[in-house]
Amino acid sequence: MATVVTTAPVQDRGLIRVVKSPTFARILFPFVVLAIWYLIYYTIDSRIFPPPQQVAEFMWDEITLSSGVRYSSVAENLYVQFAISIARLTIGFFVALILGTVIGLAMGISKAADAFFHDWVMAVLAMPALVWALFLGLALGFSHLGPVLAVIFAGLPFVIINVREGVRNTPKELFDMAQAFGVPSNKVTRHVLLPSLMPFFFAAIRYAYAIGWKGLVITEVFASDRGMGWTIKFWYDAHRAHGVIGYAIFFIIFAMALEKLVFDPLADRAFKWRPKIDAVQMAEGDFGAVSSEGFLLAESQEMEEGVPMRSMEGESSDG
Amino acid sequence: MATTLEQPAPGARSAEEERLIALQKRDTRRKWFWRIAGYVVFLAIWQITSQIVGENLIPSPRRIIATFPELIESGRFFSSFAATLTRIGIGFGLSFLIGIALGIFTQSRWLDGFFKDAVTISLVSPGLIWALTGLVIWGFEPQGWIFAIVMTTFALVTVNVAEGIRALPKDLIDMSRAFGVSNMRRQREIVLPFLAPFIFTALRFGFSVGWKVTVLTEVFSSNEGIGFEMRVASQLFRMDEFFTWVLSFFVFALFLEKVVLQRYERKFFRWRTEVTA
Repeated sequence: MATVVTTAPVQDRGLIRVVKSPTFARILFPFVVLAIWYLIYYTIDSRIFPPPQQVAEFMWDEITLSSGVRYSSVAENLYVQFAISIARLTIGFFVALILGTVIGLAMGISKAADAFFHDWVMAVLAMPALVWALFLGLALGFSHLGPVLAVIFAGLPFVIINVREGVRNTPKELFDMAQAFGVPSNKVTRHVLLPSLMPFFFAAIRYAYAIGWKGLVITEVFASDRGMGWTIKFWYDAHRAHGVIGYAIFFIIFAMALEKLVFDPLADRAFKWRPKIDAVQMAEGDFGAVSSEGFLLAESQEMEEGVPMRSMEGESSDG
Repeated sequence: MATTLEQPAPGARSAEEERLIALQKRDTRRKWFWRIAGYVVFLAIWQITSQIVGENLIPSPRRIIATFPELIESGRFFSSFAATLTRIGIGFGLSFLIGIALGIFTQSRWLDGFFKDAVTISLVSPGLIWALTGLVIWGFEPQGWIFAIVMTTFALVTVNVAEGIRALPKDLIDMSRAFGVSNMRRQREIVLPFLAPFIFTALRFGFSVGWKVTVLTEVFSSNEGIGFEMRVASQLFRMDEFFTWVLSFFVFALFLEKVVLQRYERKFFRWRTEVTA
C-alpha cells in the first residue's frame, strides 16, 4: 500500500515517497485552502472579508464564551444554540423514523399501499426544505414546532424509501423456506426480515439525520428565533463576514464529527456480521473517493439492483 | 418451470399464458385503483385542512390552479423562470464540470487524497452555509451564488463519477498501459466512454439538489427568479401565489429530472445492454 511510508527501503527516497502518499495530499489540502483564502483576502475589493486569523479568533471567542455577544434573551451562546438545534433534530428524527418505518414496511409488503403512497412520498422527497421553512414560519410563527415539523418532512421520505427498498430486497426464498418449515412468523421477522433490513434501515437513519439537519437549519432561519440556523443568519444580517464564516466552519465541524464519530463506527458495527461481497473492491478500498450519498439509495429503485448495496459496502470499508 | 416441461402442448400453454395475462391485468388495475385512491385521499386531506385553517394560510388545490393563469398574465412568470434557469445553468453547469473533473481525478490516489475532505465537507454540510457565506462575501454579484451552488452540488457529481471509476474495467486499463497508450488518450477513449452513464446519473442527482440551492440563493440575494418571488409572496402573506410559484417550478423541475433526463439517458445508452438492463 502506498500509505506505508516508514518502510521505505532507500533512505533518500523517503521524502519523495512521503510527498507522493495520499495521506500527505490529504494533509496538504487545508493548507492549500488557507493559501487560497489569503489570496482572495489580498485581492478582493471588500471591507468585510476576513483573514483566517480573524475568523479563528472569533471562533475561539465563541468557544470560550468571551466574545460578549448575547444572541437573544433565551439562548445566550454557541452551546445553548447547538443544544436547541440538536434537541429539535433528535425529536423530529425519531418521529420521522417511527412513522417512516411503519409506512415503509406497509409499502414494501403490500402493493396496494405502495401504489397509494408512492407518488406522494416522491413529491415530499423532492420538495425543497425552503418551502417548508417559509410556510412553517408563517403558519406557526417562531416556535419549536415549526423546526421539528421541518425535520420530519425532510427525513420521512428517506426513511420510507429505504425501509421499503429493504423489505423488497429480502430474499424471497428464505421466506418460502421458513414457511415450508413452519417457522412462526415472529421468528421469521426477527431472523429473516430484520437482518436483511438492517443495512437499509441504517442508511435510512444516517440520511434522515443528515437531511433533517439540512432542513432544520434552513427552517431556523425563517421560522425560529434561536438555534444554529438562526445564529448564522444573525451574523449574516449583522453583515459580519467573520461571524458567518466562523459559524459555517462550526457547521462543518459538527457534520464531520457526526459522520466520523457516530455514523462510521455504527456502520462498521452494523455490517460486521456480513461477509464482504466485493473482495476486489475491498482491495482497492482507498481508491474509491468518499462514500456515495443517500441520494443513490433514496432513488435506488430506478437503478440496477445491488448498486446501493455495493456503494454502502464501499462506504463502510474506507473508514 | 417443471409444469411446462410436462405438457408442451400449444393449447395448454396459451391457456396458461392467458391466465398470466389476466393476472397481470388485474394487478395493473388494482395498482391504478390504489394509486388514484391515494390521490383522492391526499387531495381531500389538503382540501379539508385548507377549509379548517382557512384559505388564507393553506389555499385549496382549486385556488392554486385558479391563481396559475393570473401569474402568467402578470408577465413575471416566464421572466422568473428564465432568471432561475439561467442561474441553474451557469451555477450547476460549472459545478458539473468541476465535479466530473474531480471524479476523474480519483483515479490517482494522490489527487483522491487531496480532494477527499473537500468532497466529504460538501456532502455533509447544509447548502445554507454556502449560500450565506457566498452572499456575505460577494453580495449580489454572481460569484456569490455561483460559489454557493458549486459548493453544494459538485460533490454529488464527483461521488457518482467516482462510483463509475471504481467499476472501471481494469483489464482495459492494464492493456492500454502495456501498449504504452498515453494517459490523456486513455482518459479520452476508455475512461470517458465508460463513465458516460455514470455522468448522466450524476447530472440527474446533481440537478435535483442544484435547483433547490439555486432557489435558496435567490431568496437571500436576488431581485428576480422563483426564490425571490417565493419570498415576496410569503412576506406579503399571499399564500396562494406562494404555493403556485412553488408548485409550478416544482412540477417543472421534476419533469426535467424524471422525464426528460431519464428518457435521454435511456435513449442515449440503448446500445449498451448492461446499462439499460
